[in-house]
Amino acid sequence: MQKTRFPAVLSTFVVCFAFWILLTWSFKVQELAAGAVVSLAAALFASRFFIQEKAFRLVHPRRFFSLLVYVFVFLGELLKANLDMARRCFGGCKDVNPGIVKVPVDLPDGYAEAMLANSITLTPGTITLDIAEEDGKDYYYIHWIDVAETDRVKAGEIIKGRMEKWIGRIWK
Amino acid sequence: MALRIVIDVLIGIGLVFALAGTKGIIKMPDTFCRMQASTCVNTMGVIGVALGALLYAIFIMGSVSAAIKIAVIALLIITVNPIGAHAIAKGAYRAGIRPDKPMETDDLGRDLGNE
Repeated sequence: MQKTRFPAVLSTFVVCFAFWILLTWSFKVQELAAGAVVSLAAALFASRFFIQEKAFRLVHPRRFFSLLVYVFVFLGELLKANLDMARRCFGGCKDVNPGIVKVPVDLPDGYAEAMLANSITLTPGTITLDIAEEDGKDYYYIHWIDVAETDRVKAGEIIKGRMEKWIGRIWK
Repeated sequence: MALRIVIDVLIGIGLVFALAGTKGIIKMPDTFCRMQASTCVNTMGVIGVALGALLYAIFIMGSVSAAIKIAVIALLIITVNPIGAHAIAKGAYRAGIRPDKPMETDDLGRDLGNE
């Protein structure tokens, strides 16, 4: 458990207050004041759980650009995988060859690994079951509905596609 | 008129993917494959329906707050859903659920056996 620090409180407060405005969408002074008080209280209590490192490290034009590109890369992968999955489902659900493969991952920190794991889970056809560390390298255990390749590195290239490269650029 | 057609097509695309996912949940052979099919419903299904509803809220209802709420709902479903799917799949595996037909490869079972 770490101490509450001012940049962490400020960034959590900004996110909470933006969310409040989005949900209420009224700009009367009373509502904004109530939202500010509630956001500040939430930020004071919760910021130390959310922000572990530098609070504003993502505020950088290069990172925003990478994030924007990543959204489209991800949507492309999502559409491809969804069409494949829909074809399997409508084709009688017999065309499956499931298995769990262990895939190496090479990303700078825990946030990036969590983001890639969630992206993989969100893509139909692959679910991340676990993350393990072995000899200083991290591995995902991924349940794959159609095991096309049992070699770890090649399977990783097929599953992760271009997503890993762009996530690495966001969090570098 | 053209806008109504675009909205209906988007919602239709979402419904087709939701139907595919639902059929997969019922017909797939084992637990993990059923979970895989269910992700179809809450990715493309949600994105298609939410995009259609977003266009409807902005251009036909003319309500900004409804549009923002729809966007927030879609964003929350998409960010929170994989965490639940991961936890359920891992819990099922740890609880000893295995498919009837042996899997193609099972690296997790092999590594757990070595511990």
